[in-house]
Amino acid sequence: MDIAPPPIAEAAAAPPQIDVAGLTKLYGDFTAVNDLSFSVRAGEVIGLVGPNGAGKTTTLRCLAGIIPLTRGAVRIGGFDLAQQPIEAKRRLAFFSDEPRLFEYLTVSQHLAFVARIYGVADCQEIGRRLLEELEIADKADKLPGELSRGMKQKLAIACGLLHAPRVIFFDEPLTGLDPIGIRRMKDSILKRARDGAAILISSHLLHLLEEICSHVLILKDGRKVIDGSLAEVRDRFSEQAGGGSLETAFFRATGETKGDA
Amino acid sequence: MIAGALVYYQFHSWRNRLITRLRRLRRPKYLAGAIVGGVYFYFYLIRGFAFGRHGVGPPSKLPLMSGFNDLTQTLAALGFMVMLLLAWILPRSRAGLGFSEAEIAFLFPAPVSRKSLLHFKLLGSQPAILLSSLIMTLIGRGWGGGHFVIRALGWYAGMSVFNLHALGASFALTMLMDRGITTWKRRGFILAVVVAIVAGVFIWARRSLPPLPIVPHQDGFTWLLQYFGRVVESGPMPYLVHPFRLVVEPYFAVNARQFLTALGPVLCILVLEYLWVIHSNVAFEEASVEKSRKMAEMQATMRASQGRGVRRPAKAARPPFVLRSTGHPAVAVFWKNLISAGQYVSGRFWLISFCVTIAGSVMLRSQSERGDGAVGMAGLLLPVMLLAISLFSGPQLLRNDLRQDLPVADVLKMFPMPGWQIVMGEVLAPAAMLAGVQWLLIVCGVVFCPAQFDKRAIPLAMRVSVALALAVVLPFIDFIALLIPNASVLFFPAWFQLGKDSPRGFETVGQQLILMFGQLLALLLGLVPAGIAFTLLLWGGSFVGWPLLGIVMGAFAAAAILAVEAGLGIRLLGGVFERLDVSGEVL
Repeated sequence: MDIAPPPIAEAAAAPPQIDVAGLTKLYGDFTAVNDLSFSVRAGEVIGLVGPNGAGKTTTLRCLAGIIPLTRGAVRIGGFDLAQQPIEAKRRLAFFSDEPRLFEYLTVSQHLAFVARIYGVADCQEIGRRLLEELEIADKADKLPGELSRGMKQKLAIACGLLHAPRVIFFDEPLTGLDPIGIRRMKDSILKRARDGAAILISSHLLHLLEEICSHVLILKDGRKVIDGSLAEVRDRFSEQAGGGSLETAFFRATGETKGDA
Repeated sequence: MIAGALVYYQFHSWRNRLITRLRRLRRPKYLAGAIVGGVYFYFYLIRGFAFGRHGVGPPSKLPLMSGFNDLTQTLAALGFMVMLLLAWILPRSRAGLGFSEAEIAFLFPAPVSRKSLLHFKLLGSQPAILLSSLIMTLIGRGWGGGHFVIRALGWYAGMSVFNLHALGASFALTMLMDRGITTWKRRGFILAVVVAIVAGVFIWARRSLPPLPIVPHQDGFTWLLQYFGRVVESGPMPYLVHPFRLVVEPYFAVNARQFLTALGPVLCILVLEYLWVIHSNVAFEEASVEKSRKMAEMQATMRASQGRGVRRPAKAARPPFVLRSTGHPAVAVFWKNLISAGQYVSGRFWLISFCVTIAGSVMLRSQSERGDGAVGMAGLLLPVMLLAISLFSGPQLLRNDLRQDLPVADVLKMFPMPGWQIVMGEVLAPAAMLAGVQWLLIVCGVVFCPAQFDKRAIPLAMRVSVALALAVVLPFIDFIALLIPNASVLFFPAWFQLGKDSPRGFETVGQQLILMFGQLLALLLGLVPAGIAFTLLLWGGSFVGWPLLGIVMGAFAAAAILAVEAGLGIRLLGGVFERLDVSGEVL
């Protein structure tokens, strides 16, 4: 299957699905994220990159409503996450690097549970299709403890996609996947983007992000260094137009040398 | 050089752990816990030594011990023998040493000899043995007449012998497995030897000793002890027990000289066991890796279950009902938690419990009808007692609520549900289970309550009224009683952390005590308004000549007040849940 980012022009016309203004998160005296603003439109796939401790996971967890912001505002699908959390959360899905499952619910029970939480009327059919797509349909009666890590990740994805979210956050989605799993994950991400989802992905795998992202946001020490389309970011930090890679841009933007990475 | 590195690691691990715990005391919650825990340990364990004892063990408190010091030693030796036997009978897997995952990652690929690894483990186990010895000395201050230090060293010697022996036994068992001797064959052989010895001793006792004396009531069990003493201190038993007596003798030494004399044989045993362990050519690495993995899994499960259990669900539990995909989302949380409970308490368990309760009650009722008033009262008192126990212990035992789900609070927080719905769904499952049990007990109480007691009639109307009142009010009390520990989880999430990374020590004991008393106080305060309403209506009913109506009306009024309190509590906790910052201390 061809892998290509969605057309930027189409996405630019859509209203922002993720709108972040002045997001700040403090842990005591420590500033994890500082005055971060950006937006993601439907169909855009934005890569969130930065060195370890840059605030990527904290940003994603704030956007998913898992941890409260200290300052700033986040709108998901046009709904303020602080003022209308239910409406906002109804439109999003968050996939952490480590699948978070209930040890005592089987695969099918997970789907039934999530369907009721999100009020997915035709969950049987959607769930069946998702399980087939993710190739875990034969594991429907298994507990998470009986699944491999990759299968657990697939189950978490099935649960997250059951309600057809318009906004999707991925935190290191490719961790622990085999090459086939990585390829399928990339296809799946691009399929959701083409279907109109706004996607934010945090990853250290820059060459993979280059394949699937339309935009990039580079964070360092909780602050935004740059954001823009992939081409813009590459050009900005490249010595010649149209040249360079995201990796080069990353090292120049963050002031790191390759040896430090 | 390697030994130095291993000593360095052990020393600094303990030192850093201690420093971390001391630094933790700068935070008020740990300081408060440390103070309360310290006071508790002082009064429970240490005070007896500090005042009145002057470091010398108190006179024996157990009647068993007085005048039976030799017998006590024999009993201790027999106990030790049983423990060693279990070390040969119980293990099913190959010998594996308890290394942490980090220790395996660093030490196994390192150029460290097998002998060094064994030394490392033996050295690493010493602080734990020492601490256990001290605790056992404090707890068992009435079990012996020697000085505190002698008894502590006695414990230390005994535990060290056991530790080494258990290790040697695990190596020997692994060698047996390698030679194709299965676990059950080995167990069968050992048990056959044990049975043969016990039978031999029994036959000898029957032939050589006078028959068991008739029980003289005034002497309690003294006659039995005397007889037992004769069995174990004559004939073949002293020879059988002798090696084990050698190990426990230092503990019973009454002075330093006696202690040192008794210590000699123990040191010899230790040296022999050490040589046995060191020269056992058994590969323990693979089993250690497996053991470490299981330990890590167990700790993860423990964290996930908040200490309720350390096993993963073995098989999927049946859902209690079909969950429709539309409707109130709190029902989904309720449904999920009922499934969680089903992992540990199955539907079959409930069915059997119900049948046993009914059958037992029917028997009691028939006895009661035959004129046995005491049995009839027992039929009534048993459900009442169980009701009281369920009321106080139920909320602590049934933890399939936020206490279970705190580690996945980040998942719950993503759900498009207001916090109050999540809290309500979480608490509903244990509350419903508890109420179900209590209703069953109430039915039993009504059915089997005698029609009269002490020549006073207990009419059916009274029984039904009281039962109805209890049935109405108890579910709400349960709900409030369950809300309180859930509130503790939300207000003090870090106090509920369990597993490998959880804080330990007497400060956590103090935290638990504070929480326990706090919860009890909150429950009592919560019950006051409902209690007042009930009392007023009961009084009113009695005043107008309808006391039974007063009971029922009072119960409904109390239930209404408790329902309002529960509603307010859910709203309050829902807000707290929404503001809960799971990035802080919870995860």
